[in-house]
Amino acid sequence: MNKFIITVLTQDRPGIIAHVTRILFELGCNLENVNQMILQTQFAGLFLVEAPESMDKEHLRQTLTTRSEGRDLVIHVNTLEESHETGMDAHGDIFLITTIGPDRKGLVAGFSDILAAYRANIVNLKAVFKGGIDPRDNVMSYQVWVTPDMDTAAMFADLRKKADELGLDIRIQHKNIFDAINKI
Amino acid sequence: MFEDHEIISTIEMVKNEHLDVRAVTLGINLFDCISHDLDTFRHNIRKKITGHAGALKSVCDAVGDKYGIQVVNKRISISPIALVGAAFSADQMVEIAHELNEIATAVDIDFIGGFSALVEKGMATGDTALINALPRALAETQRVCASVNVATTKAGINMDAVLQMARAIKQAAELTADQDGLACAKLCVFANIPEDMPFMAGAYLGVGVADAVINVGVSGPGVVKRAIERNLENGPMTLGNIAEVIKRTACKVTRVGELIGREVARELDVRFGVVDLSLAPTPTVGDSIGEIFQALGLSHIGVPGSTAALAMLNDAVKKGGAFASSHVGGLSGAFIPVSEDLNIAQAAHQGFLSLEKLEAMTSVCSVGLDMVPVPGDITEECLAGMIADEMAIGMINAKTTATRIIPVPGKKAGDSVYFGGLLGEAKIMAVPHMADASLFVHHGGRIPAPIHSLKN
Repeated sequence: MNKFIITVLTQDRPGIIAHVTRILFELGCNLENVNQMILQTQFAGLFLVEAPESMDKEHLRQTLTTRSEGRDLVIHVNTLEESHETGMDAHGDIFLITTIGPDRKGLVAGFSDILAAYRANIVNLKAVFKGGIDPRDNVMSYQVWVTPDMDTAAMFADLRKKADELGLDIRIQHKNIFDAINKI
Repeated sequence: MFEDHEIISTIEMVKNEHLDVRAVTLGINLFDCISHDLDTFRHNIRKKITGHAGALKSVCDAVGDKYGIQVVNKRISISPIALVGAAFSADQMVEIAHELNEIATAVDIDFIGGFSALVEKGMATGDTALINALPRALAETQRVCASVNVATTKAGINMDAVLQMARAIKQAAELTADQDGLACAKLCVFANIPEDMPFMAGAYLGVGVADAVINVGVSGPGVVKRAIERNLENGPMTLGNIAEVIKRTACKVTRVGELIGREVARELDVRFGVVDLSLAPTPTVGDSIGEIFQALGLSHIGVPGSTAALAMLNDAVKKGGAFASSHVGGLSGAFIPVSEDLNIAQAAHQGFLSLEKLEAMTSVCSVGLDMVPVPGDITEECLAGMIADEMAIGMINAKTTATRIIPVPGKKAGDSVYFGGLLGEAKIMAVPHMADASLFVHHGGRIPAPIHSLKN
C-alpha cells in the first residue's frame, strides 16, 4: 500500500482538476478520494491516491511540479499513514456548534481552543464573515466529534460562556436534527 | 457538511419560528392494577406509573437539550379510569383523581390524561360513576385531564350522556368559579375519539396498545406560517403550490418529533407509539394558527374563505406528516382552540369569528369547539345542544370532533378570562339563544347511527 495525499492551492479557474488528475492517471496512480473547495477566488484541492509501489513521494511531487510550471500551482505531497488515529475511531456523535453574530478577530481561535482543550475533534468547519448586520452574513459552524468520555456538559458550558463574552448567539445541536429537517 | 442555508433555516425554525415538540406522552396500561379495594388500586397505580415515568421528565429534558429542541410538555396517558376503576363509586373516583394528581406531581409531569369513559352506546356502572365524579375530580386537582366519548359514526349519539356532560361541565365551572371555570379546560367531550390518543386534554391509552408506550405530539404553526410567507415573498403562488409548501414543512416538523420521540422511548426502554401530527398553537405571537390564515391572505380567521383555508391546511399537514412517519395517530391535523391562540382569540373578540363560523370550521379541522369560553348563565339545554351539534358533525362525517367549552361563572359575552400558561386567555364569546331550554335534549336516548355506519 503506497498512499499519498496531494494538496493543490491556486487561483480558481477552469481546468485545475483536469490537469492534476491527468498527470496522476499517467503516473499510474489510482484516485481514491478528492475534495475541493473554493474560498472566494481561491481553489484548494485534496487528492488521495494509491500510487504504484515503486513510486516515492519526492518523485510524485517533482513530476507534478515540473508539469505544472507556468500554472501557478502550490503543490504539497504527503505520505498517508494508514494507522494514524483521528480520535474518531471510538464511539461518538457529531454535534453542530453554530455561532451567529458580529465579526471580530480571533473568533475561530477562541472557540477552537476550547474544543481542543476538551480533545473534541473538529471534523468540519465553515466560517463566513461578510460583516454587516444580517446574521446570515456572520456564521461559524463547527461539526465536532464528541465521545462519551468527554465532559460535554462542561465543554458546552465553556462554549456558551465564550459566546456570551463575544456577544454571539450560539446553538449546540446534535447533527441528527439537521438531517431530520434537511435530508428528506 | 450542511449548506449555509440548511444550518440557518434549521436554527431559525427553532429560535424564531417556535419549532418545538409540543408534548411527549408516556402511555401506561393500568389493567393489571385493577382491584376491588380502593387502597390496593391506588397503591398499584402509583407503583406502576412512578415505575415507568420516574425518569420521563429528565430524559425529555436531556434529549431536548441534545437536539436544541424543547419538549414543552411531558405528559402521561393511562387506560380509561371508567374501565380500570369500574368497581368504584363516584366519591371513590374523586379519590382516584387525587391519587393521579399526586402521582403527576411526584414525577413532575404537566398533565395526566385518562380520567375517561367511552359511553357512545350506553353507560356502565363505572362510566356513570366517572361522569358523576368529573366536576369534583377536575375542580380539586390541577393536572388530571378527562374525556368522555359520547358518539361514534357506528353507534350514533348517546343523548343521555350529552345532557349529563352538559351538567358536569356547568358544575365543574361553578366549582372553579374563582378561576373562571378552569376545570372545564381539562375536559373534552368527543365523537369518534381515536382508539388511542396522546393529546390532552382528551388523552388516554387505548385498550389494544402495549403496556407502556411513548407518543409524541408535534406542533409548529410558526414554522408553517413563515414557510408560506417566505415563499410568497418570492412572488405569487397558486393554492396548490402553497399546499405543497405546507406539506413539506409539516414533513420536516414531523421528522423532528419522531426523532425526539424515538430517542426518549429508547432511553426509557419502552416502545415508540405514534406521532400525533397536530398543528397546535400557543398563546404566543408568531406561534399561531390564526396567523397562518393571515399569511394565506385572509384578513382574519373567520372571514369568508376561512373554512376552505382550514381544509387545505389540515389536509396538507396530514399528507406531509404521513410521508414523514409510518406511525401516525391521535388527532393529527390543525387545532383551532380559541383561548390558546392569541390571534384566534382576538378575531373572535373583534367579531370576525363567530361561534357559528367556528362550528362550521370544525367540520374540516381536527377537533372542534376547543377552549371556547361562553357566558356562565348559559342553560344546560343550550350547552347540551352545542355539544350535540358538534357530535353530529363528527358522527355524520366519520371524523373526530370534540367540545371543550368553558361556561365562565358570573361573566358575560365580551368579559375577559385568563386561564394561564398554554391555556391562554380570551374574551367570552357570545352564544346566540343561550337562554334556550328547548326539550330536544331532554328526549334522551340515542340518535341512531347514520346509514353509512352499516359498512363493515
